[in-house]
Amino acid sequence: MISFENVGMRYGMGNEILTDIGFSLERKSFHFLVGPSGAGKTTLLKLLYLAHRPSRGLINFFGKDLATLERAALPRIRRRIGVVFQDFRLFDHLTAFENVALPLRLQGAKKAQVADHVEELLSWVGLEDRMHARPATLSGGEKQRVAIARAIINKPDLLVADEPTGNVDAEMSKRLMHLFVALNKEGTTTIVATHDETLVRSVGAPILRLEKGQISLEPGGKPIDPGA
Amino acid sequence: MWGRTLQFLPEKNLREGLLPWVIGVMLFLCTLSLAGALAIGTGIENWSAGLTSNFSVQVVVKNLEERTKQTTAVLRLLKATPGIEDAKVLADAEIMALLAPWLGDMPLGAELPIPTLIEVRLSSTATVDTAALSERLIATAPGAQLDDHQIWMGQILELATVVQLLLAGVVVMVVLSTIAIVIFGCRAGLATHQESIEIMHLMGAEDKTISRAFDARYLAHGLKGGIFGVFLAAGVLWLLTNLAENMGQGLIQAGIPEASALLWLALLPLTASILTMLTARITVRKALLELM
Repeated sequence: MISFENVGMRYGMGNEILTDIGFSLERKSFHFLVGPSGAGKTTLLKLLYLAHRPSRGLINFFGKDLATLERAALPRIRRRIGVVFQDFRLFDHLTAFENVALPLRLQGAKKAQVADHVEELLSWVGLEDRMHARPATLSGGEKQRVAIARAIINKPDLLVADEPTGNVDAEMSKRLMHLFVALNKEGTTTIVATHDETLVRSVGAPILRLEKGQISLEPGGKPIDPGA
Repeated sequence: MWGRTLQFLPEKNLREGLLPWVIGVMLFLCTLSLAGALAIGTGIENWSAGLTSNFSVQVVVKNLEERTKQTTAVLRLLKATPGIEDAKVLADAEIMALLAPWLGDMPLGAELPIPTLIEVRLSSTATVDTAALSERLIATAPGAQLDDHQIWMGQILELATVVQLLLAGVVVMVVLSTIAIVIFGCRAGLATHQESIEIMHLMGAEDKTISRAFDARYLAHGLKGGIFGVFLAAGVLWLLTNLAENMGQGLIQAGIPEASALLWLALLPLTASILTMLTARITVRKALLELM
């Protein structure tokens, strides 16, 4: 579904942050992206959620070569990708409901349809009582669940999460990871960048390990946490 | 168009709070400059209309008997000239009234040598060669002097044209300054909302969707500022018009435009808001092109 071939990335005239990156994400797969700080995880994720074009190499999204895609064609592809950030990046002046509704409103969905979907999804992430709360009044875990709901409201083909458990406690981290696993079981291709090796072992999914700008794939193991 | 606007920006932004006021001040200056240029235009039109349809002839001869003789000859010649509808000698009292603003009230018969003044009215369609007529008048009555106001009118027209050009320059500078201010305001807005814009962009928002949110916001800023500026300027113009009317000076009164000629003022807030919106749109679209 998504493939990288000999991808290199540098900012301006600086050194290459990513070198000859090659991997593919099959439909409905679940991968962790791990690596030390400064290894290039965030840069790789930015390539995955189309915030940057690579300096070199081929990236194929849903059967389309990124190099040949015009700028005007990118929004359609971006709508097939959900992104979750460590710092949530919610709109502070909007309620949880309004934040989650944004991607649907972008696509021109009808008001009733938006309301049904958003209420259903916020209930699914356990926030049925916090729908009309603004982010400032939500806990870290609640904010991240709103961010996840916003990322998946469109039923994206690919879900990219950049350190989604970085700002929540261990218990909430486990709950969030259960959400990602459940989403993946529903058919969403998922890639989660994390530092938390315990979480990685708890799911047992294949690992993309990034070190010094180069990537390697490690096969998944048996999940430690039976709930995952 | 606005029904499709997805407003993701917060309603209030302190950094943009002053923008409508600044636009208002700019519109105030712009309106006064335009109104000034219009008043000068109206004045020129009214003065020209009055002065090209008449001229005057003075008979400057000290000896009263000779002056009367030459005046009769001049009147005869004028009335025989095609295109001249009427020529009449002004009474001494009328001449004294004309001189009063400069010389003060003086009794008739004071020892002041006053020439005979003949007011000549042309028929509306006529053109008279005043240079040739002047030569014929001098030949008939050596003391006759024709004044068709050309020298005075030429100087006034020249001055009025320069002032009009200056005012047009002021309008251009005000418009350009307004555009620059909106660009700065818009860039500040973009910096403030950069993260929101990036998130919208990553969610798959097209450039036009994002820029529409700014369109609506800056259209409102322009409209608010425009209405404020034009209302303020309209008040000042009303005061100046009343003052000019009360002064009762023909030169100033000639420059007061008809109320209907000032209806264009109503279009200024709309023009300002559209200009503000388009400036914001271009600025935002250019900034968005820097994102992938």
